[in-house]
Amino acid sequence: MKQFNSGPSINTYNKLSHWFDFSNPGILRVYSGKIDIGQHISSTLALITSNITEIKYDQIEIIKLSTDISPDEGITASSLSVANSGSAIKAASIALKINFLNYALENLEIKNEDILFENGVIKDKNSNKTISYWDFAKTDKFKDVIIPEIFDKNSLKKINYQNNQKIELKTINEIVTGKYKYVHDINFPKMLHARIVRPPSYHCKLIKINEEFKKRLFENEITLFVKGSFVAILSLDEFLVIKFLEIAKNNIFWEEKHQLSNNNIFNSLEKHEKETLLVKSGGEAFYEEIPEKKSFDDPKIKSLSTIFKKSYLMHGPIGPSASCAIYNDNEFTVFSHSQSIFALKYSISKYFNIDPNLVTLKFMPGSGCYGHNGADDVAFEASVIAKSYPNQHILLKWTREDEHSWEPYGSASLNKVFGAINDDGEIVYWSNEAYSDTYLSRPSDVELNNFTSYKFLTNNFAKTKSKPKTSAHMGIHRNLDPIYNFKETRLVKNLVHDLPLRTSALRTLGAFANITASESFLNDLASIKNIDPFDIRINHLDDERAIDVLENLKKKMEIFKSKEDSFRGIAFSRYKNSAAYCAVGVELNVTDDLDIKLNHAWIVVDAGEIAYEDGIKAQVEGGFIQAASWTLYEEVIFDSKEIISKDWDSYKIIGFDNIPVFTTSVIDKKGSPYLGVGEVVAGPTGAAISNALCKALGQRIKILPFTKDNITKELLN
Amino acid sequence: MNYLDCSFKINGNLKKISIIEDKTLIYVIRDELGLTGTKLGCGLEQCGSCAILIDGEKKLSCNLLAKDYQNCEITTIEGLENNDGLNNVQKAFKEFNAAQCGYCTSGIIISITALFDKNKKPSSQEIQNALNGHLCRCGSHSVVLNAIESLKEN
Repeated sequence: MKQFNSGPSINTYNKLSHWFDFSNPGILRVYSGKIDIGQHISSTLALITSNITEIKYDQIEIIKLSTDISPDEGITASSLSVANSGSAIKAASIALKINFLNYALENLEIKNEDILFENGVIKDKNSNKTISYWDFAKTDKFKDVIIPEIFDKNSLKKINYQNNQKIELKTINEIVTGKYKYVHDINFPKMLHARIVRPPSYHCKLIKINEEFKKRLFENEITLFVKGSFVAILSLDEFLVIKFLEIAKNNIFWEEKHQLSNNNIFNSLEKHEKETLLVKSGGEAFYEEIPEKKSFDDPKIKSLSTIFKKSYLMHGPIGPSASCAIYNDNEFTVFSHSQSIFALKYSISKYFNIDPNLVTLKFMPGSGCYGHNGADDVAFEASVIAKSYPNQHILLKWTREDEHSWEPYGSASLNKVFGAINDDGEIVYWSNEAYSDTYLSRPSDVELNNFTSYKFLTNNFAKTKSKPKTSAHMGIHRNLDPIYNFKETRLVKNLVHDLPLRTSALRTLGAFANITASESFLNDLASIKNIDPFDIRINHLDDERAIDVLENLKKKMEIFKSKEDSFRGIAFSRYKNSAAYCAVGVELNVTDDLDIKLNHAWIVVDAGEIAYEDGIKAQVEGGFIQAASWTLYEEVIFDSKEIISKDWDSYKIIGFDNIPVFTTSVIDKKGSPYLGVGEVVAGPTGAAISNALCKALGQRIKILPFTKDNITKELLN
Repeated sequence: MNYLDCSFKINGNLKKISIIEDKTLIYVIRDELGLTGTKLGCGLEQCGSCAILIDGEKKLSCNLLAKDYQNCEITTIEGLENNDGLNNVQKAFKEFNAAQCGYCTSGIIISITALFDKNKKPSSQEIQNALNGHLCRCGSHSVVLNAIESLKEN
């Protein structure tokens, strides 16, 4: 192994005890600041630890994140779990092993060749004396170890690890037997079940609660909680709460302060007030004058322009968000499946104006979806309710309608793309203007109003404007900067204000829309000059790893003969231009009824050193499936009063009947940094489907999702 | 509120409890009997996560009136294990690590168990029919399908 960089978490947590607990004989417990959201990070981290330390995978437990004991590694997001926590734990494992070996050799007074090393125990072949990691952990030497930020080549000489890959997921036995516990399954004595009584939309003030209804609640021992316009009902019996939630809807009256919007969302994206920033090569956004879009009169240069549109998308976890909170002796304990566990601790303490150390957040699994769904809101709401009923656990669950109607969606967006290609097939100009609402409204101690209930608690319905983020590849301009070496680019980020729906981080943020648009448009430019889709990409790339995944994809696709009446498309991206590389191929059929059937998907990914190959495959195939669902089916429907798509009939997602055969390849770059794979596949998936559909129809469809309605409208245009 | 004394035969055990008369089966299973492996996803019979077996048939438990199922054999995910441990479907899902977050998994295992209990070699269409109405958001579909395929081969 060449030099190894320990990653950002080691800057703050550089002691072995920050990461390892050897207090149980024969068991290594590992701390991490990342949570399991379906990506099986705990199994991957245990595998990394096992491969380096040579302690058996089965002897390793990953401690569920709890803010009182775990390292703060930020949000579990942005494909950084293995990159950050994996690198930190690998660094801690390397430091542990090097120091343990030295300690054992010194204390046993033997040489390297005289040792037997098994399951974390070193044995002197001659004397049979042993020393284990568990012995070492009791010493001052263990306590004194400082994990280096960088390991140089020399210090890594003794680290010759096997990259074992076949494991049983830590959670799988409990999952298949129904014993895996989610927040939803928490049960404490005298626990109160809670549900929120929601108004029709975001901007409604509570006017009146029917007195007769209050009486009925009282008779049935149901507690009514009202603070400002925030209303909840609570009971020891969960079914009773559900039953009365329906009755409550007709007995609580609201005043609508503002309507949603009747305007076509794509018109609003273009016409509303916006902040416009220039995105430069490298992906950072600046408040600078936007250059005029060029035009080309040279007959040797052909130009083209297109507008791509994407609707609002929802996270839509199968289990609605939930949280359990208790307020006891002036302290809060909150069980949550939020991806922002530490931020929640500070937000909740800020809201109650108390010392953050009086708030402990404990991770408990929730239902997967990848992104900022209702998890943070529900934990905040459970805490607000718990404050009024000390010493009693409050288990608050959102309903299906809550989750569909109140979660922060992935924003609708527009991409206006313009490009020019010369007779040599060189792209000489590329302009991409992205228009969208924010993708970054996770709550924090300085942005409490990002909790959906905050405005109801405070009765402040004034509209607020989000501020554009400027760092490289943040939010709307993620992957707006093409990775290709186009001669000249003009990249514009538009954060549009006063749009109707609440939005925040959905898997990939703006990258899905930007890559789907640009990788579709790249094919359209190439086809002007009859250039093969692989060639146009490879001709504009210098990065060997990028070229490698594309060439690999080409070879993999050539092995399979196309099915009759089927069409293929490809696309590529490197997530954030700095994380994993991914090329995707799709083969599909379009029925006479304009149904799109996915036959085959090829995925080639380079995510640096393979931490856990089956985990990477599950992530990219799962990411493909979610992105295919966005591309083919998904669209939040609303009118001026409320969200219309409140259930799975009105918000269709992909089912088992349209899952392609997968051929997935992971390129191993042993010794290279880990690069996360949670999001890398989504953009290329949208574009590969778009490109295959374009071939099938002979026309580019420029509006997502590719429903029969949208395709028909585009074909008639 | 009217309460009703009921008895349920669930996972081979007889349970006598007093429930609110119109309580739905899922709340009896999860809250009264503590069998939380059955999940509530939508309460609208649209997502499949609350699937259980009633007299060997797959049913969605979120909208069934509990009192109507007192004389039936009810099986939840917790009751699938037999004398040899996990049933074949559970074994296959375990062998293939066929889950991401796992929230939808127990409902799917229930449906596939019902299918293979009746037909050891179901066609692809029959498997699709069994999976119809089961939603998964993480995208575990491909691994789940591979696990199910392996059952056909055995």
